[in-house]
Amino acid sequence: MSAQSISSGYLVQQVAQQDREAFSQLYDRCSSLVFSLAMRMLRVRSDAEDLLQEVFVQIWRQASNYSAERGTPEAWIVNIARSRAIDKLRSIRRMEQSFVLTDDPARAESSDNVETSAAESEAKMAMSSALVNLPEAQRRVLELAYFDGLTQTEIAARLKEPLGTVKTRMRSGIQRLREIMKMQAA
Amino acid sequence: MATGHEQWLEQGDIYALGALDGQEMKDFEAHLASGCAICEAYIREIRESLLLLHRAITPFEPSSAAKSLIFDQIAGDKKFVPIAAVQSKRTGIWQRMVGTIAAGIVGVVITAAYYHYRYEPRHSVYSAVIDLLRDPNTRDVALYGAGPTPAALGRCLWNKSGEGHLFVTNLPAAPEGKMYAVWTIAQESSPRYVASIRTDAKGLGGVHINAAQSDKPIQTFAVTLEPVGTTAAPTGPMVLVSKQS
Repeated sequence: MSAQSISSGYLVQQVAQQDREAFSQLYDRCSSLVFSLAMRMLRVRSDAEDLLQEVFVQIWRQASNYSAERGTPEAWIVNIARSRAIDKLRSIRRMEQSFVLTDDPARAESSDNVETSAAESEAKMAMSSALVNLPEAQRRVLELAYFDGLTQTEIAARLKEPLGTVKTRMRSGIQRLREIMKMQAA
Repeated sequence: MATGHEQWLEQGDIYALGALDGQEMKDFEAHLASGCAICEAYIREIRESLLLLHRAITPFEPSSAAKSLIFDQIAGDKKFVPIAAVQSKRTGIWQRMVGTIAAGIVGVVITAAYYHYRYEPRHSVYSAVIDLLRDPNTRDVALYGAGPTPAALGRCLWNKSGEGHLFVTNLPAAPEGKMYAVWTIAQESSPRYVASIRTDAKGLGGVHINAAQSDKPIQTFAVTLEPVGTTAAPTGPMVLVSKQS
């Protein structure tokens, strides 16, 4: 465990004691991580700032639920943020199904943005040498699940691929990330 | 790793990613609920690995106001010690003098803080609007009353960066429990919520918009009357709309 994560763990412990200074430091350390994820997933700045607020208020109120045995503070915080963002995304998708203003519901904005954002992310990811060897097909399913909150069945429908293929790509991509993580830890 | 556990671990990969669904999801959650330490540890490890995906996202910084809003919200959670309770323990002329001087200083600080928080945001908005007007990429879009508010008028300064400012007139204040939601609509796309706007008793209002940049040009701007908190998609009547550009 790095010094950075130990330090964040200590801050979370202090936040559990309602220490506002520790909370301020934790915010300064993790707000960009949460906000960047929220922008990537929700795409509207005001929504992303709402999510940021919800996440940190939850951290303040539930820091005592955190346990180092359950992972790093960063993973715990990201998991809170992703869960909330996915709830919002799924709510948006349900609403879009009954939306009346668009001329062509089949071409919903979120769908277009997924393609655009995926392309953008692929370009960014290509710059990350640690991830450069992840095949495009694997990256794509991981991003659709991780950032766009799609389930395996929804991804199969979106990509018009068999469910088994999508599962295989997901697992292969995850195992590759796991190997990279282990190499970095070694 | 326990023999015969491979199937669960395979599902654990997809569960950690948040993509497991249907009966597989129910079965796996039941398995976790049974207290499988192997799968719990595995999922924890996979979630740490998934943090690598964050390297692929464009970094964004939240506004400076976001932190203040969060601290305002948690302010009610902290234990509060009333100043009066502390001051009541002070007796004697010196202590009263110190108290008076301190009260004066506190008064000055509070007054300064009031003016700072009351007017500073407004100055920031004015500056932002001026910057928009100076930018050659800013469009000036007229909005017209629709549905229940035919007399309403609006004007939106819109920059392709996703920043804008909407002014409205003759738009009655939203009823209790309702809000006016502002939407942008790009070509062949669904409306995107970008802000909510309030109007005063005279029907005047304005809101500064900071939305993510759209890939496609925004064709239409609209304002609808919605239940408070509606941001996913418009459900209520349209009260202002631009002509398609």
